[in-house]
Amino acid sequence: MKLIRINGDKFNFEFTPAEKDILLEVLNRYPLVPEAHHRLTKDKRLPDQQENQHLLDEALKAQKLANKKEITALLNEIGRFTVCPNGFRVFFTRGEIEWLLQVLNDVRIGCWIALGSPGYKQERQFRREKKSGHHLMFMEFAGGFEMYFLGAVSGSLLSETNE
Amino acid sequence: MPATAFPEVLPGIKQDQQTDSADELEPGYVVICWDDPVNLMDYVTHVFQVVFGWERKKAEKHMLEVHHEGKSVLARESLEKAEFYVHQLQKYTLNATLERDEK
Repeated sequence: MKLIRINGDKFNFEFTPAEKDILLEVLNRYPLVPEAHHRLTKDKRLPDQQENQHLLDEALKAQKLANKKEITALLNEIGRFTVCPNGFRVFFTRGEIEWLLQVLNDVRIGCWIALGSPGYKQERQFRREKKSGHHLMFMEFAGGFEMYFLGAVSGSLLSETNE
Repeated sequence: MPATAFPEVLPGIKQDQQTDSADELEPGYVVICWDDPVNLMDYVTHVFQVVFGWERKKAEKHMLEVHHEGKSVLARESLEKAEFYVHQLQKYTLNATLERDEK
């Protein structure tokens, strides 16, 4: 994956065929984080707590639905991915990268929850189990794409561009 | 939070000139971000910048506070505003809640 050019609000990337397949695999997993993960507060004295929690749940549900629609539309958009000698070129706007970050992190956190929400030092034990290894793999893929997109919007990847 | 590779994140956002002083902010509720071992450090910094409009330095300070102290108070607000911020932070799957301000 390579940042090729920034043209106004558009960030142009180049993907190898394998990188494109992996990105699509990761995005297709969204959403993964269960509703119960999002808690408004730990304080039981909060007024109208149940109602406010319900409002948060509804807002996040609507947000995830909108994100899912955006992903489906993006992946099916004609001309979004174009074939090039090294694989594919694709552009994302800054706004699209922002919701891609939300989507990728949902997948990352969802995989982490599926692993049993391991602590800092527990990750290594999951590499030996096939099913857990799968979650761990997608958690790391999602994190890798997050870091790349963060690097793109921050400008730190500009020095890598060749055009 | 796991360490990350890209140090600079500077989204095009307007800057929040608020200070952290409790006296200058509307009291009532605090927005807290809690530590977890999965959200990437640069990602957390980026989200703080986007949601609160902070400069990178301030966002990083709070991110490091989350990482080292286990939590950071990000804002002191009315219930309505605190709920708004928690919603924004949870959209990015950060571990954020609102609590009563005990100060």
